[in-house]
Amino acid sequence: MTIKNVSGTKDLNPQQVEENNYLLSKLSEVYRQWGYQEVSPPKVENINTLTAGGGIKSNEIIKIVVDEPLGLRPEMTASIARAAATRFALKERPLRLWACGTIFKSREESDGKIIVDENLHSGVELIGEEGMEIEVELLYLLIESLKKLNIQKESNPTLLISHTSLIRIILEKYNQVIKTKIKTILTNYDLIGLDKLDIDNDDKQGLKATLELRGSPSTVIETLRGIYGDNNVLKSLDNLFNIIKPISKVYNINIQLDPTYQPHYNLYTGIVFQLIANTGKSPVVIARGGRYDDLVNLFGNNNKAAIGAGFSFSIDKIKKIARKKNNNDTFAKKTLIAYGPNKKIEDALEHQRRLHKENQIALIELNICRTKEMAAKLLPKRGCTNLIWIN
Amino acid sequence: MITVALAKGALLKDSVSRFAKAGFDFSAVLEPSNRQLMVPSACGRANALLVRNGDVPVYVAYGQAQLGVVGFDVLSEHQMPVANLVDLCFGECHMAVAVKKTSSYKSAADLPAHCRVASKFTNCARRFFEELDLPVEMVHLTGSVELGPLTGMAEAIVDLVATGRTLRENGLIEIDHLFHSTARLIGNPLALRLDTGDIRLIVDAIKSQERKGSF
Repeated sequence: MTIKNVSGTKDLNPQQVEENNYLLSKLSEVYRQWGYQEVSPPKVENINTLTAGGGIKSNEIIKIVVDEPLGLRPEMTASIARAAATRFALKERPLRLWACGTIFKSREESDGKIIVDENLHSGVELIGEEGMEIEVELLYLLIESLKKLNIQKESNPTLLISHTSLIRIILEKYNQVIKTKIKTILTNYDLIGLDKLDIDNDDKQGLKATLELRGSPSTVIETLRGIYGDNNVLKSLDNLFNIIKPISKVYNINIQLDPTYQPHYNLYTGIVFQLIANTGKSPVVIARGGRYDDLVNLFGNNNKAAIGAGFSFSIDKIKKIARKKNNNDTFAKKTLIAYGPNKKIEDALEHQRRLHKENQIALIELNICRTKEMAAKLLPKRGCTNLIWIN
Repeated sequence: MITVALAKGALLKDSVSRFAKAGFDFSAVLEPSNRQLMVPSACGRANALLVRNGDVPVYVAYGQAQLGVVGFDVLSEHQMPVANLVDLCFGECHMAVAVKKTSSYKSAADLPAHCRVASKFTNCARRFFEELDLPVEMVHLTGSVELGPLTGMAEAIVDLVATGRTLRENGLIEIDHLFHSTARLIGNPLALRLDTGDIRLIVDAIKSQERKGSF
């Protein structure tokens, strides 16, 4: 019986690995330029860390059967936040960290089968400084990183932004029991649920209008001001959008404020966002992020309030919209060193060593090639462009 | 271009009629000679995907269709991340627990613990019995569920009931009711949040028919 790989996990071939590494290197180049340092959080963690204080549901985590309750990470933010709050607690703030690696989720397929969902992610975490500047830097870096990825022009990226306090403001007047229900209805875009709500008809129409309220940040903020009055959240959002508007225009990124958008993970306590691109057939979320002050405080053991924010790119999703690498890059000059009956493999290895010294890709044909013509025929098979035949 | 996932079978005719009133003529899918699975609307502004009932929420959740029409029973069974937009009020039926007419069970709570229950809708059934706190063994069948109690394989079934005729003709009787089901217009949540007005126009047009009672 053939032993198959686990459904949902990634068993990549060389070209796919090369594509992943290319995208990861482009992103890490930007992170480094911005002064971020690489960390490598563990893939296996305690379930308490992975559920991030209840922000992530336990049934989305792949558990490992050992003495302790352990699991595979479904994202990297919780592990980095824990490190920042514990062993990096005394390090100078702000902490600028980046990480890349695979994440694992338990997912139910449409036929009810539970599968392991393995994805490659790359992202940053900015921990420590109070104020809106942390979000400004993060969004600037997100936009710069996207530019570096050189995605297809027609993918029309949209940065969809909200703030966890907006939904709180919208629901302020309702009692706790109905508040949770309305929040679920608004975040799930459930118009039928909204129609069936047992509330005043004017309130219902108001909530429907709020659910349909999204678009240009300045217009949405003005509308929210008209309904709920001015407040600090709207003021800081206004400031934030004024700062990031110019760069989003330069890079042709559409920015949309959507008060009822809330992310799947309940980790965030501030600005939340997702970067969406069009694949031609359907929209895909290529990056997600937000501010998670409570998460850093959850792992901290000092009284000083901590602040954290970050984002993560899904490499697998970016591949759908990234411009294909030039074949000349993928198949850079590769030399095949073949040897005839009068030479030995050691002679070929000596040639290879010289080429490697010149930073060239060179590989050895392990079988003796009696003639140069025989060796030349092997070039396409070995994926090489140049031949050195020694005899 | 808007793509709409339509379920083949009982809901198709009414689904086509609702979209026609919203300005999208997909009547070509009703032609007996039609073998195409992706059919453009007469105006050319939208495409209809002809799929199986259970696949409608899948196409919508994955974003390959921005809108879809499917029964609440299917949505309840598959629990896909889709937006519920309009109750279309056709395709009425209900999900019920049924047993052999000759059995002594009067409600689902009377069934013995760990008995076998056969269903096509095992997720709905499982949730129902969990809420009752009655442990049962679920048997997944893909059709002719009524045979479960008749052959002795299962004590009860959970299935969709429209008129009740199939149950009666097979000597079964309904003893409990899970939920009422009608056709729903559903949408892809991300597409709805990125919509520049095209999808909203269709949803509003279909919803306004519901208000006018024009169907």
